[in-house]
Amino acid sequence: MKLNLDRSLKTPLYLQIRSQIRQLILTNELPCGYQLPPERKLATLLGVNRTTVVNAYHELVADGLIQSHVGKGSTVNSLQTIQHSLEGSSKTIYSEEQRVPIQPISWQNFYTSQSERMHNPVLASILDEIGSEDQISFALGSPAGEFYPLKELNEISQVIIRPGNWKAFEYASTIGHYPLRQYLETWLNRQGIDTQPQEILITSGSQQGLDLLTKVFIEPGDYVVMEEPSFLGAIGVFKSSGAHILTVPMDEEGLRTDVLEQILSRHRPKFIYSLPTFQNPTGITMSLERRHQLLKLAYQFHIPIVEDDPYSELYYENKSLPSLKSLDMHEHVIYLGTFSKILFPGLRLGWCVAPSPLLEQLSLAKQHIDLHTSTTTQWIMTEFCNQGLLDKHLPLVRGHYKHQRDAMVAALEEFAPEGLSWTIPAGGYYLWCELPREMKATALLTKAAEKKVAFVPGSAFYVNSGGRSWIRLCFSRHSALTIREGISRLCGAITELLNQPHLGRKTQQPRFSEPLV
Amino acid sequence: MQYTFAERVTHMDSSAIRELLKVAEQPQIISFAGGLPAAELFPLEEIKESYYQVLSAKDPSVLQYGATEGYLPLRQEIAAQMGMKGIMTEAENILLTNGSQQGLDLLAKLFINPGDVVLLQNPSYLGAIQSFQSYQANFMTIPTNKAGIDENALEVLIKHNQPKIIYLTPTYQNPTGITFTTEERKAVLRIARNYRVPIIEDDPYSELCYDGQAASPIRSFSTDDEVIYLGTFSKTLAPGLRLGWIVGGKNLIAKLVIAKQGSDLHTGTLLQRATHYYLTHFSPTEHIEKIRHAYQCRRDLMLSELKKAFSNKALWTEPTGGMFIWLTLPEEYNTLKLLPKALATNVAYVPGTNFYVNEKSHNSMRLNFSNPSPAQIQQGIKLLAKIL
Repeated sequence: MKLNLDRSLKTPLYLQIRSQIRQLILTNELPCGYQLPPERKLATLLGVNRTTVVNAYHELVADGLIQSHVGKGSTVNSLQTIQHSLEGSSKTIYSEEQRVPIQPISWQNFYTSQSERMHNPVLASILDEIGSEDQISFALGSPAGEFYPLKELNEISQVIIRPGNWKAFEYASTIGHYPLRQYLETWLNRQGIDTQPQEILITSGSQQGLDLLTKVFIEPGDYVVMEEPSFLGAIGVFKSSGAHILTVPMDEEGLRTDVLEQILSRHRPKFIYSLPTFQNPTGITMSLERRHQLLKLAYQFHIPIVEDDPYSELYYENKSLPSLKSLDMHEHVIYLGTFSKILFPGLRLGWCVAPSPLLEQLSLAKQHIDLHTSTTTQWIMTEFCNQGLLDKHLPLVRGHYKHQRDAMVAALEEFAPEGLSWTIPAGGYYLWCELPREMKATALLTKAAEKKVAFVPGSAFYVNSGGRSWIRLCFSRHSALTIREGISRLCGAITELLNQPHLGRKTQQPRFSEPLV
Repeated sequence: MQYTFAERVTHMDSSAIRELLKVAEQPQIISFAGGLPAAELFPLEEIKESYYQVLSAKDPSVLQYGATEGYLPLRQEIAAQMGMKGIMTEAENILLTNGSQQGLDLLAKLFINPGDVVLLQNPSYLGAIQSFQSYQANFMTIPTNKAGIDENALEVLIKHNQPKIIYLTPTYQNPTGITFTTEERKAVLRIARNYRVPIIEDDPYSELCYDGQAASPIRSFSTDDEVIYLGTFSKTLAPGLRLGWIVGGKNLIAKLVIAKQGSDLHTGTLLQRATHYYLTHFSPTEHIEKIRHAYQCRRDLMLSELKKAFSNKALWTEPTGGMFIWLTLPEEYNTLKLLPKALATNVAYVPGTNFYVNEKSHNSMRLNFSNPSPAQIQQGIKLLAKIL
């Protein structure tokens, strides 16, 4: 293959490369299946940047002339395929004057390096959640819809949306509705967190809190420390920011502070992300001693802690241990909370508590991201809380969820095949189970889908690899009866797979259409 | 403790102007500074009924997690409405956002590497400038001449600088109120297409047309997906809802969905359900007709007041739609320096310099006519003339 580039031309080099290769393919000098030289090699040969060749190849792929496979390089397509795409391009737009064919934009050439790092836990995985009625899903970490206070919310919305109350529909301050921040101040004070409204930012769910912190703190290449396994929404955001994620294992007391100390003596992370109470996915609660050790290390090495705390009010035994934020005497902890797990997620309301200089920076970032969280929604939630309905709701769901947790444990005791083990969390949403004989959770997923039961495979909660034979089961969403039926199906699937280990090794995985949380 | 922030934090502009204009929120001040629709025209009865209906249906899914793309029937309804603007599209091409500001942020996240060039109008919408800035974009501006866009200069500029993206508010622009002609729209599209630069078309105001229909959106001329369209309910329904949408190619939407999922999972479910109910059970077009009429009167009034108070002393745009008039004073004036004096006289505006990315002009200001009442417009323009 011989190409001649003319640098005196105004045509960009990548387009020259593209059109010459195109010519060679169309004249059949490069036949079907012909292996194009690797990008780096061709770049050296032609004395151009590698990206120039990459762009040229991208264009040729978009033209339907070649195909590229990671690891295998690029090959010329069959005449049939080429014919087809040339016919397709008869629709190609001709600009009014030049009559030059214009190809559609190949969007991937325009994306940022950050967007290449975004991956989708929804599409990359799993599970048909809404698909069939008779499916029992333990996958989505959501409250039980049957306890949603629809009637109360309806009455409240009628009060808020009254004639003349335009304020509830206008632009509002980025930091959030003041009465809601006031309510949260009192609510958090009761949980031992000493704070004030100017240290509370209302977010569009706590996922946005994570996004804001990432935007404000993380440069590509920065270090972030987190427990492993951990919340997949946090892993996703940190990864897409280009951070190096350093992971710390856990034991029954939570994050291993001895390992953390080793890490901090070698690296200087931007922050330590932790979900210390009823952790997602393991259900582990960090012991009080560990909490103090963690704070001590943060002070010693001068590293902020991001404490994610969606579940601590959902305790089923004793009241939860004090949060890191409430134990923090030196303003090292940034605290994320949400209404999503304790009430309902559809309003998308959360909050971030941070020292006021940092909070101002986070508010500024939020202003650029979405101006502010929905005014109407914040007004409705404020009224809900001020009427004491949150305080009324919590004991109700605690009772139900405890009962559901017990039902799931009882069902496992009844149906579990030998070798299946599980945790019994003192609060939160999840049981964390290890499958027998290193069975792969992804293989089980397919088998389980046949039996119309779903869960999240453990590997979703790992930064790199790991958790392959673990699964997360959420017990908050279904009644005790449904839970028993679902666990029975799941254990049936495990038993079948134990008896036919060759099955389900590589099969089509069903798709998931709601965000995984 | 001392925090080590990311480099981009230094590019997040807190804009001193916002601080200054906080004063403008005081009740005695007549504010031409905001970009607000008139609150007394919000269709509260209809919205109230919509919330009532969706919350009465005994369907807990109105408070449940939802798809990141948004509530499907709402996306279908928006797709249908887009059709009336000449944009033929489907629900699969639409992503719901927390207002169009989030659309801008997601697009900036997806497209802007530090140092990339964004080509935009000068002046431009402040929120867009700040959003691109926070991703460390560099700016170049659309060249204009007396007739409007200078096509030849634009082509040369794009050819030599290879911008990553073109950002435009072609209809009743914020802050100037200027509208591109159909020829200009086609020309920008042709050039952008030739050099393969995607266009972001921000279109919050086109429903607010006072002298006949607005020109068709640029996306309506596009046969491919090179134009990404941003829409919002902020001006036609209420801004506090925070609901907007992006229309784009299916591949692009798929990528944006991933970005939005990391940002906030999805836009509020209840809000989307209630808005869908409103759009399908009431007559949004009648409501828009109503606000059109009210704003048209206010525009006419402001223009005639300006003529009385400023003829021969200033120049101003005569927008055929939108919310803003752009007033330019003689060279020797500095509208930023005049602002404290104006505030002391109980009238507020936004100094023009805030909307420029380069070649700032110091002698212009943005005046909003949709929010102040007719009486306030009369009095406010007189006060403004007095301080000059």
